[in-house]
Amino acid sequence: MAQEIIAPLAGKVLQLNIAVGDKVEEDDEALVIEAMKMETPIYVPCDGTIKQINVKEGDEIEEEDVLAIIGKE
Amino acid sequence: MRPYFEKMAEFGHELKKGQIKRTEENLNQLKEIEAEIQGEVNRVKTAGLPVEKINARGQMTVWQRLEYLVDPGTWCPLHTLYNPMNNEEGTTNVIDGIGKISGKWAVIIGFDNKVMAGAWLPGQSENILRVTDLAKRLNIPLVWLVNCSGAKLPEQEKFYANRRGAGTPFFRHAELEQLGIPVLAGIYGTNPAGGGYQGISPTILFAHKDCNIAVGGAGIVSGMSPKGDFNKETAEEIIAKAKEFKAKPPGSVKIHYDETGFFRYVFEDETEVLDGLKDYMKDAPAYNPIFYRVAEPAEPKFSVDDLYRLIPLEPKRVYDFDEVLARLTDSSEHMEFRPDYGPEVYTGLCKIDGFLVACIGNRQGYLGKGYPEYTDYPGMGGKLYRQGLIKMNEFVTLCGRDRIPIIWLQDTTGIDVGDEAEKAELLGLGQGLIYSIQQTDVPMMLLLLRKGTAAAHYLMGGPTANRHNAFTLGTIASEIYVMHGETAAVATYSRRLVKEKEAGRPLEPVIEKMNKLAHEYYENSRPLFCAQNGLIDEIVPMSDLRKYLTAFAGAAYQNPKSICPHHHLILPRIIRG
Repeated sequence: MAQEIIAPLAGKVLQLNIAVGDKVEEDDEALVIEAMKMETPIYVPCDGTIKQINVKEGDEIEEEDVLAIIGKE
Repeated sequence: MRPYFEKMAEFGHELKKGQIKRTEENLNQLKEIEAEIQGEVNRVKTAGLPVEKINARGQMTVWQRLEYLVDPGTWCPLHTLYNPMNNEEGTTNVIDGIGKISGKWAVIIGFDNKVMAGAWLPGQSENILRVTDLAKRLNIPLVWLVNCSGAKLPEQEKFYANRRGAGTPFFRHAELEQLGIPVLAGIYGTNPAGGGYQGISPTILFAHKDCNIAVGGAGIVSGMSPKGDFNKETAEEIIAKAKEFKAKPPGSVKIHYDETGFFRYVFEDETEVLDGLKDYMKDAPAYNPIFYRVAEPAEPKFSVDDLYRLIPLEPKRVYDFDEVLARLTDSSEHMEFRPDYGPEVYTGLCKIDGFLVACIGNRQGYLGKGYPEYTDYPGMGGKLYRQGLIKMNEFVTLCGRDRIPIIWLQDTTGIDVGDEAEKAELLGLGQGLIYSIQQTDVPMMLLLLRKGTAAAHYLMGGPTANRHNAFTLGTIASEIYVMHGETAAVATYSRRLVKEKEAGRPLEPVIEKMNKLAHEYYENSRPLFCAQNGLIDEIVPMSDLRKYLTAFAGAAYQNPKSICPHHHLILPRIIRG
């Protein structure tokens, strides 16, 4: 079963803390988005393994973009 | 009103495992900087002569007097690092704070007798002004530990005269007395001239047997009748007189107890003076807390130490304000006012030590689609928009009506800007909030969690609210500036960059200046700078913040100037609907 990490707001990917294949735990910091001069961390919503990442650092993203997909454990 | 306040809505959550893991570095950084600040505090505490030397003279230091006088665990120091004139002594030479004496809250201040026998120094009268203001705002007694050798004469031009100079504390004492606020003074040592007025201007004088207060001390009376210059003959006369007056200084207890009776009591031992103050404080005007408590006092459900993980040191990082507030309030409960309006601002009723307080704070992070409603760019917490400003205006006005003390928790990047924001009337609504504050008469305090920026710092209960702001606390993450340093550099040099570019000249010299300005902004907004210059009244370790809130609430309700019966409160009814 898979779960998506969705962008809650538009902005720029400042920091990407995950890679495909990473084992992650709920509430780990997946990435940081910069918008309106502020840094908003995006957290992993569940335990699992990163299956897919759709962005890289510096990318401009839109609200509700799918940033990554986690394979839930 | 028991059903409203005994059990309010719970808020906040336990820290999650991942949160604890990823915030370890933040916690360590904050604690490390707090330790550095503690080093500065220790430097002030050890300024001047060593404790042993003072004790060898049969005297206690001001710190020892405070420790004996104040109820254990209640001392909340203020202005410890305040040194606005950058005195070489590293202090304004008064030590002050709020604490309980004999179970009653008081504002307490004493001269540091280790430093030049408690002399007046530059910046001291500004320090005392904050202290007398505090007693006035909270309507609680002011207790002095007078031990003041008078003006530091080589620097008198910096502080002796002027509208807010060294004479103003005496007028402020008179003002407090007119308001019915007693000023109690324990008096030690030699207190000539200014020190004499420090001694005489309080309401009741408790003297140590070796103290004196005088219009002019031994130094002055030894050298009266100036002849234009000095020579060997006048020097010999001065020596003879100085010896005489040192042995028998003017204004001793023989004069001011036996003759004038200015000293109400004279005590043999230093501690007996403090016991006298304690005895009088037992009878100071103070309601039993049960008069005004709305519930039994209770600790927050979550540890205040979580704040080290919840408040990011990095100023651009967003966080959950409600989680912070839940670490400070009784039982982590609240009644939020208009949660569906103005999402960038939290307004709500909370309990501190069983007393009802109003809390106003900046929520952080993305505010959701469609907000602010007057434009198409996204709204971020920390910034103020139309709805948030309207909500604060309403809430403050209702708090004034209900006589509820207000705690502001500020972390703001300013008010929204641009023509859309102007059309949304933010300029008028901001000043409207200042008007709303001004027309209330409730004590307020400000806790600057992180950023105090631009006019939003003034609006949200800043120290500029002179008549209301009791004190402003900072944390180790606090910073105050008119705008971020990088923004200031752009505002200052953007046109210059364009000119240089169009003229074909190199941009590097301008870029260098921009970086320099940004760096200066950073340096001049640090917590230590803010504390030394009075932008905040104390840097408080995060683990002690609730203690200060408790002191504020307890003091505000100790002897309130005006009350609203609980069953007449309108705000909780508006919230419940």
